[in-house]
Amino acid sequence: MSYDFNIESPQTADELLAVIAANQDKNFRFGAGGTDLLLELKRAPQENLTVVNLAQLKDPIFKSITKVAGGYRIGALVTAGEVLDHEEVKSEFYTLWEAAHNLASMQIRQVATVGGNLCTASPSGDIACALVALHARCEIINTKGELRSVSVADFSTGVRKTVIQKNEVLRSVVVPINSNPNLHSGFIKVGTRLSMECSVVSLAYHIQMDDNRTIRHAGIAIGAVAPTIKFTDSACAFLIGKSKLIDTEREEFAGLISDYASPISDVRASAWYREEVLFNISKGLME
Amino acid sequence: MNDELKYIGKPQPKFDAKERTTGRSVYGHDIELSGMLHGAILRTKYPCAEIISIDVSEAEQLAGVECVITAADIDANKISFKEDHPVLKSGLVSCIRDEIAAVAAETKEIAEQALKLIKVKYNERQGIYDPFESLEEEAVQINQWQPEDSPKNVSMTFEYEHGDLEEQKSKSKVIVKRRYHLQKMTHCCMGSSNITADYNPAEKKLTLYCGTQVPFLYQRDMAHCLKMDPSRIRVIQPVIGGGFGSKLDVNPFEPICAFLSMKTGRPVQILYSRYEEFLASPTRQSMAIDLTSGADENGRFTFREVEIIKDNGAYTSWGATTPFVMMQTFSSLYKMPACKLTSTAVYTNNPNAGSFRGYGNPQATFSVERNIDLLAEELGMDKSQIRKLNSNTPGEITGQGMHFRTCGLLEAMEIVAEKSNYESKKDMEQSGRYRRGIGLGSMLHVGGGAKIYRSDGCGTTLKLDPYGCLTIITGSSEIGQGSETVLAMIAMEEMGLSEDKIKIINSDTDVKPWDVGVHASRTSFIAGNSLLGAIGKMKEMISPRAAKLMGVEIQDLVYEKGLIRCAQSDVQIALDKVVRDLHFMPPHELAEVSYFYEPPSKYQDKGFKGDVSGNYAFAAQAIEVEVDTYTGNVKVLDVWVAQDVGKVLNPMGLQGQIEGGVVMGIGYGLTEETQMKDGYVLNPNFHNYKLLTASDVPEIHFYPVETNDPAGPYGAKGVAEAPLIPTAAAIANAVSNILGVEMNELPVTPERVLKAMKNKSELTERLV
Repeated sequence: MSYDFNIESPQTADELLAVIAANQDKNFRFGAGGTDLLLELKRAPQENLTVVNLAQLKDPIFKSITKVAGGYRIGALVTAGEVLDHEEVKSEFYTLWEAAHNLASMQIRQVATVGGNLCTASPSGDIACALVALHARCEIINTKGELRSVSVADFSTGVRKTVIQKNEVLRSVVVPINSNPNLHSGFIKVGTRLSMECSVVSLAYHIQMDDNRTIRHAGIAIGAVAPTIKFTDSACAFLIGKSKLIDTEREEFAGLISDYASPISDVRASAWYREEVLFNISKGLME
Repeated sequence: MNDELKYIGKPQPKFDAKERTTGRSVYGHDIELSGMLHGAILRTKYPCAEIISIDVSEAEQLAGVECVITAADIDANKISFKEDHPVLKSGLVSCIRDEIAAVAAETKEIAEQALKLIKVKYNERQGIYDPFESLEEEAVQINQWQPEDSPKNVSMTFEYEHGDLEEQKSKSKVIVKRRYHLQKMTHCCMGSSNITADYNPAEKKLTLYCGTQVPFLYQRDMAHCLKMDPSRIRVIQPVIGGGFGSKLDVNPFEPICAFLSMKTGRPVQILYSRYEEFLASPTRQSMAIDLTSGADENGRFTFREVEIIKDNGAYTSWGATTPFVMMQTFSSLYKMPACKLTSTAVYTNNPNAGSFRGYGNPQATFSVERNIDLLAEELGMDKSQIRKLNSNTPGEITGQGMHFRTCGLLEAMEIVAEKSNYESKKDMEQSGRYRRGIGLGSMLHVGGGAKIYRSDGCGTTLKLDPYGCLTIITGSSEIGQGSETVLAMIAMEEMGLSEDKIKIINSDTDVKPWDVGVHASRTSFIAGNSLLGAIGKMKEMISPRAAKLMGVEIQDLVYEKGLIRCAQSDVQIALDKVVRDLHFMPPHELAEVSYFYEPPSKYQDKGFKGDVSGNYAFAAQAIEVEVDTYTGNVKVLDVWVAQDVGKVLNPMGLQGQIEGGVVMGIGYGLTEETQMKDGYVLNPNFHNYKLLTASDVPEIHFYPVETNDPAGPYGAKGVAEAPLIPTAAAIANAVSNILGVEMNELPVTPERVLKAMKNKSELTERLV
């Protein structure tokens, strides 16, 4: 087994689609920041592999954050560092900003991308978890240039599995604009150290309230407690129309979130711990 | 010594800092010799198995492979402290790092590919991974070469006793007995293990480029293993990327590399990957400590009774001797009328443990300091007061015979209590999600070497060249701790030379004089004293000639700025001119001297009694933490460290040692553990082995206590291990105080915190 692989570095979107088309019968992988891919290839070297290197792609849709009708489009190659530098992301979608802020380390945040965090399809993906809470949608293009849209919540179908077909690539995500003026938004990452940490439990929340502080929209997603990131519909529904929760309601709310969890025990934490912590932080969310 | 010091006590950047930061330093990984081959090692697939067959034929046929060896191909003595460790295994494998075969090939990739072609048939056996199970009657014998005079599966025992235990028990108002569980931990040296072996068949000489901490013992041990004359082995230490005790033993990869070079007649290099480093470098010993201790009605400590079961792993390393150090803490940290200790190192099918910064002392101190908090609670005493009441004092000779000529423990405890505002923090109201509190811990450690080998000395050779440049050839080794810098500062101070007039040679056994090695926080003390002795001899040579040339009295000479001047007049002469005069004028002498320093410490008697170190270091720490009761996370907010360092030599280097040690102590206390299951390492990577990062480092407030010990160079004591030793204890004490639980197991993980809280609330519910 060798660590050798071929590399293709398309510069434009057209070149990218052409490279994908040309490699349909071959074993290929996308690499953008490479922060996950290199580890994976080191762990399990693959024969006859082509890496489609996206780091040199100059396409503005892939590379930038722009305001579009009804939302913000974030290119798949936008780095975590660029998310952190974006004022409107910080003010409008704080859960995403905080997720990016908690990702790995400052060095890795300069190269790790939003698209990479989604496509690696880890249940503990931080940016992915925030995007699920935000009801974001993935924009996927195929080699013919056709675009389809899938909600981020449905994008991953299991550990390391996504809906992306072999002739497709994730181009961008669209985050819908807020419909209410008051926000309670953030990202809770549970782990043992402050940097270079993989979430043991994560919780992204984006709760919108009207002028009377009544909750009108709620997005809550949990990570690292099931094979995929989970959107907690019933917990979100529970909040609608309320403004504050009394103690018993907080427990009920935490119970609703916990119902979506089916954690495992691994080297980082036991299932017991994950359940316990998820319940506690869920309870704390509306304190 | 000098009244006014120009360099000692002033911040001095590391002597090797420019080389290191500009990438010029040559680490073991950078060595590339002409015709060099690359070695790789095949390790066992199972932690406990019988090897039925090994077939290397395919590997041998792979293009680029020069040599494949198994146990059958080498004639070697076993290594390790108890000579119970064959470098290549045949018959049985006993732990997951066991070496079965090795390859030397033209490239590292070919070598690794060849490993995959070696076919080993195993018959897997049930292993024993818990030392208590190893001691059961029906347990099988794990190591067939275990000491014959030891019970089955016991590698080493220690027994120690002083005072009248029964009498002290009867004087005790309170007695606390607890079991403490301490985990395995990996050194995580940034430079992974490496060796380049270069055997010259024509000369029958072997040169080893390797990162050992003990080059002269290593030379002897390697020679024994390889069945060679030690003087035909030359050890060269390239720049070492971290030691922390991991490089005290000869490990199998080193003689394996030498054998590959001897078989091929070419240089061979073995570099560990990070995975291998986690898997195959020795760990800090895990152990269970049963500690019973007492105090009388006034809070005076009465006795400690200790039973320790240590997980030795499959083979015995120097690490098995850590009770030497542990018993010092049990017998002599705080005034202790009686102490009894038994320690048993037990074979298991886990990877063998080794030595690690602190050498058992973090474990011992953890149990001692936890028990003190519990004693104070039972007596209703303040936890700072009970410690101060029992503090060691200057002049004390302890039950173990250690003589504390100077002792700054009480002052250190007073400083951390004051600076941390301990009084206002010790009983903070605890409610809500985030809770804050403070914990204490102290420590005692050798400060002037440790005479556990027949000599604890160090040699120095000095050479003054005709241009006034001083070359210090020291037996001591630099492993990043900053000893080169301290030695240079001493020479600058005493010889009146600037930094650019000093060279240090410390990395070649063919050149440097003998030294026992870099461990036990000994280098600044031992090598510093050795250098001072050598400088004294050098001055005996230089000063008479200078005085004669200047026409002044010897006692009036002052060495400064590269000159020798007369204190009483303005007569002066350049140092280099005096050296040239020695060379060129009869009787024609070289300005070269050698000196060997042996510390005044004593080899302990059979009962482990004696003044084992040149002096003793003390420290106290107060640590404030915040516990998140929802997640169990413990955040260290501030660490206050006061340490009796004797005398500050280089404040900058000292600060580095303190901060590095404290961070290592926090890791030990909160996050770091080499996790094992059934003999396999579960987290052999930085992803899951939670070494702390820069983001996790709290404020560290350091207050040196200067007791000016008469034995130390300028009054200094060893400092390097101390800052790690009480940290975990202080953290566990803080968390226990805050939550009203007992954290008696390390690391204090978020999960253990939540479990302790849950158990407490369930207990309360049952009682209600």
